[in-house]
Amino acid sequence: MKFIDEKPEALPTNPERRQFLQGAAAAAGAAAVVGMGSLGIQQAAWAAGSDAPELTEVKIGFIPLTDCAPIAVASAMGFDKKYGIKITPSKEASWAGVRDKLINGELHAAHVLYGMMYGAQLGIGGPQKDMNVLMTLNHNGQAITLANQLSEKGVKDGPTLKRMLDNENRDYTFAQTFPTGTHAMWLYYWLGAHGINPMKDVKTIVVPPPQMVANMRVGNMDGFCVGEPWNARAISDKIGFTVTTTQDIWTDHPEKVLGTTAAFTAKYPNTTRAMMMAVLEASRYIDATANRAAVAKLISSKSYVNAPEDVILGRFLGHYDNGIGKKWEDPNYMKFFNDGKTPFPYLSDGMWFMTQHKRWGLLKTDPDYLAVAKKVNRIDLYKEAAGAMGISVPKDDMRSSKLVDGVVWDGKDPKAYAASFKVKV
Amino acid sequence: MLRVMLVDENQERSAPLQQYLVEAGYNVVGHLSDTADLNKAVVQMQPDVIIIDTESPSRDTLEHICVVSRDDPRAIVMFAHDGETEMIRAATRAGVSAYVVGALESARLKPIMDAAMVRFEEYQALKNELEMTATKLAERKTIDRAKGILMKQRGLDEDTAYQSLRKLAMQRGLRMGEIAKQVIQAAELLA
Repeated sequence: MKFIDEKPEALPTNPERRQFLQGAAAAAGAAAVVGMGSLGIQQAAWAAGSDAPELTEVKIGFIPLTDCAPIAVASAMGFDKKYGIKITPSKEASWAGVRDKLINGELHAAHVLYGMMYGAQLGIGGPQKDMNVLMTLNHNGQAITLANQLSEKGVKDGPTLKRMLDNENRDYTFAQTFPTGTHAMWLYYWLGAHGINPMKDVKTIVVPPPQMVANMRVGNMDGFCVGEPWNARAISDKIGFTVTTTQDIWTDHPEKVLGTTAAFTAKYPNTTRAMMMAVLEASRYIDATANRAAVAKLISSKSYVNAPEDVILGRFLGHYDNGIGKKWEDPNYMKFFNDGKTPFPYLSDGMWFMTQHKRWGLLKTDPDYLAVAKKVNRIDLYKEAAGAMGISVPKDDMRSSKLVDGVVWDGKDPKAYAASFKVKV
Repeated sequence: MLRVMLVDENQERSAPLQQYLVEAGYNVVGHLSDTADLNKAVVQMQPDVIIIDTESPSRDTLEHICVVSRDDPRAIVMFAHDGETEMIRAATRAGVSAYVVGALESARLKPIMDAAMVRFEEYQALKNELEMTATKLAERKTIDRAKGILMKQRGLDEDTAYQSLRKLAMQRGLRMGEIAKQVIQAAELLA
C-alpha cells in the first residue's frame, strides 16, 4: 500500500489509487476477521493524498419527509467530516426544483424519488440529462391513505374500493407526488392490482407532500400516496386511514436514492465517494433501533420535516395503526441499511421504474432497460465505497421479489414484464 | 388574447406583475397562492401561460398536469428571486419552460413572454411532427400487412391489392392506415 507519495491531483482512473483502494478494502476485511475495528484503516485512507475530495463542501437537497434522515444525520452527526467533506443539507420546495437544480449544478446531490432519476435520464416531462443513482436511501415506509368518508361507505381494502367505484357515478380523485416518482407508481400499481385503471377509472393529481392532509380535509381528493409522516398525520388529524402500506405492495421496495448527475461523479470522483461513505455511515447509524428516537427528534425540527416528533416516531419504529382499528408491529418498516441490502443500487430496482413508466404511457417505446440501468445505477462506485467500509455487498446485481398481485419481478425480461399487465394505458 | 395564470405564495410581491400584465394586454385569468387547488384552477381557467415562482412547491402539480394532458399542453414561465440567471436558463433551454429571473421588471416581461411562447410553439410543432412521422411509419407497416392479406386471400397482385385498399379508404372517408387495420382485424377474426 502507498500512502505518502501520491500526488493530490491524481486522476480517478489512476491505477495506483485503485490498487490502494483494493488494498484498503482487503485490509479492512482482514481487520474485521481478526476482530479489529476498521476505523483506523479508514482514517488512514483519507490521509492519503490521491483520495482527497476535489470539492470539500457538498450541497445536498432534500424534501421534508421521514426518509431524508440519512442526509440530516450525515451532516448533524459529523459523519461528513470523518470523510473529509462538509455536507450542507438544503431544504427544497418541489421535486421539479430538485431535478432542475441537480441539472444546473445548484445542488451537488439530492434525496430523490427513484423513478424521477429515470424520468430525467429518459427526458420525461423535461430535458434529458445523464443521471447517476449512487445508492438507495431507504426501503418501505410510504403508504396509501383514503379519506374517512370512504370508510363510512364500507371501503377498507382494495376489493371494497373497487366495488364502491363500480357502483358510484361521481369522479374519484387520487393524489401522488410526482408524475414519474415512486408514489405515483405505488398508487397506480396498487389500484391496477385491484382491477382499477388509474388512467381511466379515477382522476390523478399531484399535491406537494406537506399539503396532502390539508387538501384531503377540504375534499380535494379521496385518497393519496405519500411518504411518512404524512399518512400518520392524516390519522392523527382524523382525516383519513391507511388502506395499505407500500411494504405490503412490495416488501423492501426501493424508494428514495442518493442521486446526482453523471457529470458530477465524473468531475468529482473522490468527493462522490466521500459523500457516499458519510451517507452510508448515517444509514447504518439510523438502522440501529437504539438511535431511532434521537433521529426522529432531529428530523422533526423546522429545518427538516417540520412535524411533531411523536407523529414521526411511531411508524419509524414499526408501530403501525391503520386508523380504523388495526394495530400491528410491522417487521418491514422503513429500513435504511439492513446489513447493506438496502443501500445497494440493484439494477432490477432501476429497471422496474422504467417498466412502469412504459406501462402507464410515460414512455412511448421500450428503452434498452438493462443498458440504461447500468449507466444510471453506479454499482461500481457503490462497491468501492461499501468495500472500503467493510459493508457486505450482495452477490447479484438483480433481486427477485413477489409483488402484491402475485407477479414476480426479477429483472430478467423487462420488456415482457412491462407488457404483461392487464391494467395499463 | 393570451390567458395568463399567476401563482405566487406572496401575492403582494407579484401584484405589480399582475398589473403590468393587464396593461400589456394579457388576460390575467387568475392570481393564486400556491396552496390553492391548482388542479381545479387550471381546469376552470384554461390558461395558455402559467407564471410561477421557481421555489413554489406547486411546480410538481403543474408538471403532472403537463405530462398527463399531453394533448392539451401549455407553457409555463417561471420566475426566481435570486441570481443564477444563466444556470437556470441553461437547464431549461431544452425544455418547454422559460425562466424569468430576478425582480419582475415590467419592461423585460413582454420579450420574455413572447420568447417563451415562440419556443413553446416551436417545441410543440417539433413534437407533433415527430409523432406524425412515427404514426406514418407504423401505418406503412400496417398497410403492408393488409396488402399481404389481400394478396393471399384474393390472389391479387401487389398493385391491385393497394388500389383496392385505397378505394375502400376513399369510399369510407378513412385513412389508409385505418382501413388496413380493419382488414387485419377481420382476417384475424376469420383465422
